[in-house]
Amino acid sequence: MSQPRDFRLTDGTVIDHLPVGTAARALELLGLPREGPITVGINIPSPSQGRKDIVRVEGLFLEKPELDRLALLGKHLTVTIVHEGTISEKTVLDVPERLIGILTCRNPTCVTNAEEVQTVFFKQEGYPYRFKCEYCERITEPGEAL
Amino acid sequence: MGGVGPRSYTSPLMAHDGHAGEAFRGRSVVSAEDFTKDEILALLDAARHYDRYQDDGPSFSGIEPSLQGRVLGLLFFEPSTRTRLSFESAMLRLGGKVLGFADAKISSFSKGETLVDTIRVVEGYCDAVVLRHPREGAARLAAEVASIPVLNGGDGSNQHPTQTFLDLYTIRQAAGTLDGLKVGFMGDLRYGRTVHSLTTALLHFDVDLKFIGPENLSLPKDLRDHLESQGRLGAEAESLADVGDLDVLYVTRIQQERFPDPMDYQRVRNAYRVDREALAPFGPELKILHPLPRVNEVATEVDDLPGALYFQQSRNGVTVRMALLDLILGGQAGGSVS
Ligand SMILES: [Zn+2]
Repeated sequence: MSQPRDFRLTDGTVIDHLPVGTAARALELLGLPREGPITVGINIPSPSQGRKDIVRVEGLFLEKPELDRLALLGKHLTVTIVHEGTISEKTVLDVPERLIGILTCRNPTCVTNAEEVQTVFFKQEGYPYRFKCEYCERITEPGEAL
Repeated sequence: MGGVGPRSYTSPLMAHDGHAGEAFRGRSVVSAEDFTKDEILALLDAARHYDRYQDDGPSFSGIEPSLQGRVLGLLFFEPSTRTRLSFESAMLRLGGKVLGFADAKISSFSKGETLVDTIRVVEGYCDAVVLRHPREGAARLAAEVASIPVLNGGDGSNQHPTQTFLDLYTIRQAAGTLDGLKVGFMGDLRYGRTVHSLTTALLHFDVDLKFIGPENLSLPKDLRDHLESQGRLGAEAESLADVGDLDVLYVTRIQQERFPDPMDYQRVRNAYRVDREALAPFGPELKILHPLPRVNEVATEVDDLPGALYFQQSRNGVTVRMALLDLILGGQAGGSVS
């Protein structure tokens, strides 16, 4: 992956192939900005998607729960880890079949909104992603439940 | 279990399908969807044995007190008199005992204690619990934390599996089969959970599913999509007159709170009222079910028709719950009696 000079990361993470309009949501999910440079590309031409958003964050390395959250923003997001200016790892994010403790159930009378219990959601067929709450059995879309 | 005296009873269930019956022992009942077709049929087969309670009256002859010494907890965090009394009746008729509360408002359990804590305390008092709770998913959660079986007596607007089982039992008892039937659901198709659960359970069988209701109370999108993807969405009509042949008509109540305008409610209520005139085209063979209580959806003049099954359906609630409790707690039908 070639990086334009101004956006070159030394040590950090590139989140690529975000659907257009989701860059801000991605920053929000990751609790950004914090220290270190961040570059955000919006409406970037992409051979595979037409247009895409892209986020590059210096000094950021993501753990599994954060990756699971990010993956919900769009199909086939890629996360590239850069060490000392070179790409050390590139992954296409997968949405797990079961999301544990990641989404909040939007059903106000769901038992998970009253008791201390980790939410469990099952991925449904198709895209945009939809998830079924294990407890109240309502279907929810991650946009509203993240 | 230390039974009193010799028992020569052979379970009709064990003779039919031991494996499916075994599947109930010690198991929680949260949703009818957790059970396979074979398991549901095994339960319905076993339930036939308990029908005798309806014939034999208070002497209970023919039914072993197989749950003697067992205790069923009835945890009703919101009132539901019918469900509670029919579980209680089922347990008492099998020789067991019940304890619990009928309304969390008058119980100290509601005072800030979490459901999880309540379950952990109560499981020390009884062999199984029936839980009725206003929150969707309460029974699933309770079943996860409890070391004893949890039977869902209704979790908010979500599931009420024993209602589904008794509905299936009633249809099968009256029609002799669950296959080859045309079943119409009428009333509140959107919010009526009995409609959703029974529809889903009937997908196991060769049933033509039809739906009659006002447009603003039509099937929820997810269920509709599901039926459509399975090629099982039958006729949909706004009027009973337009739905074609039916073997079974399942009527549900349309609740006033679904209509902001009281005039709209009046109009819809009258349009979905079943009386002798509306039923005449279907002939005397039509079976009419209703989960009760009714308000005026089914005219009392219908009660005398041979197909009016709703009070029988209500009695069957005890029959089916007897079978379920016996299977789960390992009484007669579970085959543990020697
Ligand atoms: Zn939920």
